[in-house]
Amino acid sequence: MIRRDMLKWGALASALAGAPAAALARAGAGLDVLLLDTRFGEGAAVDMGAARVLTFAGDVTRIWYDHLDRAWRQPGFVVGGITGADALFVLETLAQQQGRKVVARNVLAAVDGIAPVSWVIAPVHPSVLA
Amino acid sequence: MVTPSTMSAADFADGLAQMRSIVGPEWVFDQPADLNTYRDFYSVLWGEPEEKQASAAIAPASVEEVQAIVRAAGERGMPLYPISTGRNLGYGGSAPVLSGSVVLDLKRMNRVLEVNEANCSCLVEPGVSYFDMYRHLQESGSKLWLDVPDPGWGSLIGNAMDSGGGYTVSGYRGHWEAVCGVEAVMADGEVLRTGMGALPGSETWQQYRMGIGPCLDGLFRQSTLGVVTKMGFYLFPQPEAHLSASVSVYRYEDLDELIEIVNELEYGNVFNGMPGVGSPVLSQESPIAMAIVPEPEEMNRMVRETGLPAWRASFNFYGPEKVIAAQWEHVRDRFAHFEGVTYHAEEPVRFPLTPAQLEKAQKPRYGIPSLEIFTVGSQGYGKFNPSDGHIWFSAVIPRSGKGVIDANRVMRQACKERGLDVFMLAPAVTCWTRSFVLFAAVPVYKDVAKNRHLRESIKEIIKICGEHGWGEYRCPPAFMDAVMDAYSFGDHKLRRVNEQIKDALDPKGILSAGRYGVWPKHLREGRGA
Repeated sequence: MIRRDMLKWGALASALAGAPAAALARAGAGLDVLLLDTRFGEGAAVDMGAARVLTFAGDVTRIWYDHLDRAWRQPGFVVGGITGADALFVLETLAQQQGRKVVARNVLAAVDGIAPVSWVIAPVHPSVLA
Repeated sequence: MVTPSTMSAADFADGLAQMRSIVGPEWVFDQPADLNTYRDFYSVLWGEPEEKQASAAIAPASVEEVQAIVRAAGERGMPLYPISTGRNLGYGGSAPVLSGSVVLDLKRMNRVLEVNEANCSCLVEPGVSYFDMYRHLQESGSKLWLDVPDPGWGSLIGNAMDSGGGYTVSGYRGHWEAVCGVEAVMADGEVLRTGMGALPGSETWQQYRMGIGPCLDGLFRQSTLGVVTKMGFYLFPQPEAHLSASVSVYRYEDLDELIEIVNELEYGNVFNGMPGVGSPVLSQESPIAMAIVPEPEEMNRMVRETGLPAWRASFNFYGPEKVIAAQWEHVRDRFAHFEGVTYHAEEPVRFPLTPAQLEKAQKPRYGIPSLEIFTVGSQGYGKFNPSDGHIWFSAVIPRSGKGVIDANRVMRQACKERGLDVFMLAPAVTCWTRSFVLFAAVPVYKDVAKNRHLRESIKEIIKICGEHGWGEYRCPPAFMDAVMDAYSFGDHKLRRVNEQIKDALDPKGILSAGRYGVWPKHLREGRGA
C-alpha cells in the first residue's frame, strides 16, 4: 500500500467519523461501497456521490454473500463503513483472508450503549492491489 | 518475531528462503502486521509471553507445493502448523499450539473438485468455506444440502477435522461423521489417500469410507500426522419439507423418561433432525443459559408459579410432508402418558424456501451458512461483543436425565465458586449422534490477570469433569494437555499410543506439534515449553 492511499483513506475515515448524516456526504469519493449499520440510524437516503450505500442491521451475512465475497476476489474495491464493532470484527476477519486490512478506524460516540466504529478496509496484498 | 526454539536463526532464514522459491515471495508472510492476522483473537494468553504465535506463514496453492514445503521443513526440522481457513474461534483460531511454528495456510487451495448429484457427495480442498460450497451448490442448480456450523465462515475440512457440528440431519450434522475419503500429505512428503481412494481407478472414494484394513481416516481428526489436502463429504438430498415441534413436560421427575424416549425415537429413525432438551423454567433470565437445576420440590414450585414447563424436548423432521406428519404423530403418542404434557408444532416448511422465508429462517437449520450469530450481544443475549472473545468448554456427558442435571449442577457450581461468567450454557447439545455435549461459553479478556484466573479455573474444571467421567471433545490450545491428561485409562495409554504413531509417521516432529496433547519426541518432556 502506498503512502498516498494511506492518507486518502485516513481522510475518509475522518470524514466518516462525524455524525452520520452530516459526514457521509463528504465520504463518497474514494470508496467503492459504504456500509451503514442501521442499528445506529438510517443512512440510506444520504447522497454518497460515487459510492454505493448498502445498509444492514448488525448481521453482515447478506452484505458478505451478495457483495463483498465476490468483490474481494478481484483486485481493488475499497469499502468504508459505520457499523457496530461486532460487524466490523466479522468483516475484518473475512477481509484478512482476501488480502485486505482495516487501514483506518475511529470509535464513535456510543448509541444506546453500543459504540459504532467508522472504518475503511482496503486491499494490501499484491494479489489484490488494483 | 517469535522464531522456532528448535532452529537456529540461520536455518530458519534459509528455510523461509526456500519456501519463497516454492510458493512465490508474496505468499510467505513474516512481517509483524501480517503475522498479527494469525493470532488467536480469543486467546486466553493474549499479550502474555506465553501467547502462542506464528513465526511466519506460507500459503501454497497446490498439493505439489504442500509436498515441497513439507519436505523442505523436514530437512530443517521446521515446525509447521497447517490451517484451512483458520476460523475455529473459541478453540484456538489460526494460532499454532507450539509458538514459533510456521503456519501452513491452505486458504488458496479453495477448489470444489466434485459434486456428485447421484451419489450425494462432494470432494473439496481445505480452503473451501461453507459459503463457497453453498454458493457452488446454488449456482450449479444442485438439489443437495450441506450441513453448516454456526457461524458458517469456516472450512468444511477444517471444521470436520476438529469435529465441528451443525444442525440438520443425523449422519450429516456431526461433520466428522459425514467425511468419506481423505487425501493427506504425510510428513515424508508423500501423498496418502484413504479408503477407496487408495485404489487407482476407483469411482467409490466418496461411497465406501473404510477401504481395506484399518480405517485410517481417524488419523487425521484433531491430528498432528498429515496435511489434509482433499476430503470427501456426504451431502443430504434436499428434502420435501421440514417440521419443527416440541413436547413440554411439567415435573422435575419427568426428565429421565423424557430423554429415554427421545433416544428411542432418534435411534429408531423416527425423527432425523437435531433434537434438543432444555428447561423453559430455568431459562427465564437468558434463553441461551440454563440456570442451575434446583432440588425437585423447588423446581416444581417454580413450574407451578410460572406455568412454564420444567423440560422441553424439541424435534426436527426432514422428509416428505406426509411422512414427517406421521412421524410427529407417533412422537406425540409416545409422550401422551406424561401428566399435563403439551405439544407445539410450527407450520411445516416446504422447499425450496421463498425469498421471504429465507430472510426470516434460522439459516443453519436449512444448511445455509450465516454470520448472524455475531450479533447475539446486540440482540439482548447478554453483554457480548465478538471482538472481546470467549472460549468454548465442551464436555461429552451421558445422554440421560441424570447426566444433564449432574452436568448442569457441577458446571454451574464450579463456575460460581471461581467467579467465572458464563454467557451460554447448554447441557444437552446434540450435534453428534448418540451423545450429549455440555456446552458453555466463557468470556475471554484482553486482561492478563483475568485470563490467568480464567486459565487456572478452567484447568480445575477440566479435572472436576474428569472425576465425573466427562471429557472435552475439543478445546483451545491452552488446555489441550490438560484435557488429554484426563483421558488417563491404562496409565495414559491413549496418549502413549498417539505418541508412538506420531514418532513412526512424523519422526522429526514437524507437523502440528502439541495439538491435542500429542507432542513429538524432542518436545515431549517440556510439552513445548
